[in-house]
Amino acid sequence: MNNNDLALCLEHAAAAREKVATATPQQVAAVLAAPRADVGSLAVLLSSAADGMLEAMAGRAQRLTRSHFGRTVALYAPLYLSNYCPGGCSYCGFAADRQQSRRRLEHAEIETELQAIHHLGLRDVLLLTGERCPEADFDYLALGVEIAARRFPAVGVEAFPMTEAEYARLVELGCISLTLYQETYDRARYDEVHRWGPKRDYAARLEAPECALRAGMRSVGIGALFGLADPVSEALALFQHALYLKRKYWKSGVMISFPRLCSEQGGFSAEYEIGDQWLAKVIWAFRLCLPDVPLVLSTRERPAFRDGMAGVGVSRMSVASRTSVGGYADGGAGGDDRQFSINDDRGIDEFCAMLHARGLQPVFKNWDAALRDGAAA
Amino acid sequence: MAESDELIIGGHRFGSRLILGTGKFADTAVMLDAVKAAGCELVTVALRRFSEGVDDLCAPLAECAGLTLMPNTSGARNAREAVRAAQAGREISGSPFVKVEIHPNPHHLMPDPIETYQACCELAKDDFVVLPYIAADPVLAKRLEDAGCAAVMPLGSAIGSGQGLQTFAMIELIISESSIPVIVDAGLRAPSEAAAAMEAGCSAVLVNSAVAAAENPVVMAAAFAQAVAAGRMAYNAGLMSRGTDAVATSPLTAFLGR
Repeated sequence: MNNNDLALCLEHAAAAREKVATATPQQVAAVLAAPRADVGSLAVLLSSAADGMLEAMAGRAQRLTRSHFGRTVALYAPLYLSNYCPGGCSYCGFAADRQQSRRRLEHAEIETELQAIHHLGLRDVLLLTGERCPEADFDYLALGVEIAARRFPAVGVEAFPMTEAEYARLVELGCISLTLYQETYDRARYDEVHRWGPKRDYAARLEAPECALRAGMRSVGIGALFGLADPVSEALALFQHALYLKRKYWKSGVMISFPRLCSEQGGFSAEYEIGDQWLAKVIWAFRLCLPDVPLVLSTRERPAFRDGMAGVGVSRMSVASRTSVGGYADGGAGGDDRQFSINDDRGIDEFCAMLHARGLQPVFKNWDAALRDGAAA
Repeated sequence: MAESDELIIGGHRFGSRLILGTGKFADTAVMLDAVKAAGCELVTVALRRFSEGVDDLCAPLAECAGLTLMPNTSGARNAREAVRAAQAGREISGSPFVKVEIHPNPHHLMPDPIETYQACCELAKDDFVVLPYIAADPVLAKRLEDAGCAAVMPLGSAIGSGQGLQTFAMIELIISESSIPVIVDAGLRAPSEAAAAMEAGCSAVLVNSAVAAAENPVVMAAAFAQAVAAGRMAYNAGLMSRGTDAVATSPLTAFLGR
């Protein structure tokens, strides 16, 4: 398919990068007064001229989040089905060259793990695998979706790029969302960190979210792994990617996640240090420019950061997560076979108590099987 | 006056003309308090928030005496999904009411007129009391009335936007043409806007964000109830005619009858 439109959107992101250096406090004030869904607005908010206006940005982000999502935070749990991976992503704990015990959940184990997540009260689950490989191929993932959809109204996948027919099959089986991060929109950096394997194909990865939307997936989650490349450029490109998908696939949802690199097995260190203040500013800038898009924050982040961002820009959060294969049924003892380390290991009760204390309602179920329709977008 | 001024939707009678949405509150207890403070007799609750868990909104509302539940199909992006959601909602809640809400775009949540019309035709034939959420389109409103809807719910502005009655002129037109109740749904921020809608002849008002996102939702619910009641009272009392047309010193009609 011709992806010139998206390429053009990303070019605009690169052009907007120049605005970031020259933005003035007056421009920041103007954008704060009337933020728009355009990359120019975002560039102004990402500039250092906005650093002195963080409190105003946060206040605005909270009001917009409250207007569009209410005083609620939607919760979900990730379930790693397998950590087999042929990929050579230098930043990933599951990369093929890592000394890592490999395993996958078998049918009965998938049932048991899902039962454990269900027992926590959650009704929204995200199934993850590594890149496509014989141990965790499409049929294996499809089986996971089929099992999960029997019990969970909201089932998403975060796995390898697939064909449109494969995405359509997942939709038929009850999958409603695809999460797939480009990791970095910087082409040279992308080639550098994806050392081998199927993920080396930048274009295929960029294309995958809309391939899923064409297949009838209800929503896609996209993101950049902040820390791999110039974070301002990444944020602008991510924004343009989201806007492109939102406008072209107007019957579909777009969600945006903001993962940042943290140390994982193998000792990869981030090229760019992403501080709390910077990440918060990016999330608030996205909220101001895209008031109605779900913004997601995972348990990669520390409790204090998660607490401060809940309902202030962020509308969707993972909780009680395990990033090892399985890990729920054994009470979270788990092994050290994690993709990345979790910085918020609070249990669900403790996390929900925090939300309540902040005047936010945790929402465990925000979808229904009656609303699963396979019709393409 | 009270008895003759009941709100009648599909043969069901209500004393209150304020309908609350239940989805955006900080917790269920606050939501229930707001419903009580508003004196609501009809509330809407999304099927997708029906759950067997602690975040269930259906059962706690079903336990409130004198409250009728109106499941809504929020999340549906086409008629098929909405019909399935309506059926599931009726099965669980036992209520014949359904608020048909079909928004293919999950971001701005604007209702799809074509899918909404199709779903309403089907649901009306299946004995639902059908209340469609629609853009403020006078022609669509009449088409839905003809299809058997019990009321129409035009939006004042986008859901959650708090922009008030941006569609006021179209809502006035819908009211002037409608034989079924017209209920303004979505976009309101202040009780004064609810009063304005009622003064214009709306039969009822539905709010969610305006109450749930207020600093004090319970007090705001009561404020909306008073505004709706005042607006209705004013409508019944008959507003004086608008305008300050002065009478010309030399009457323009003086030549008549000469």
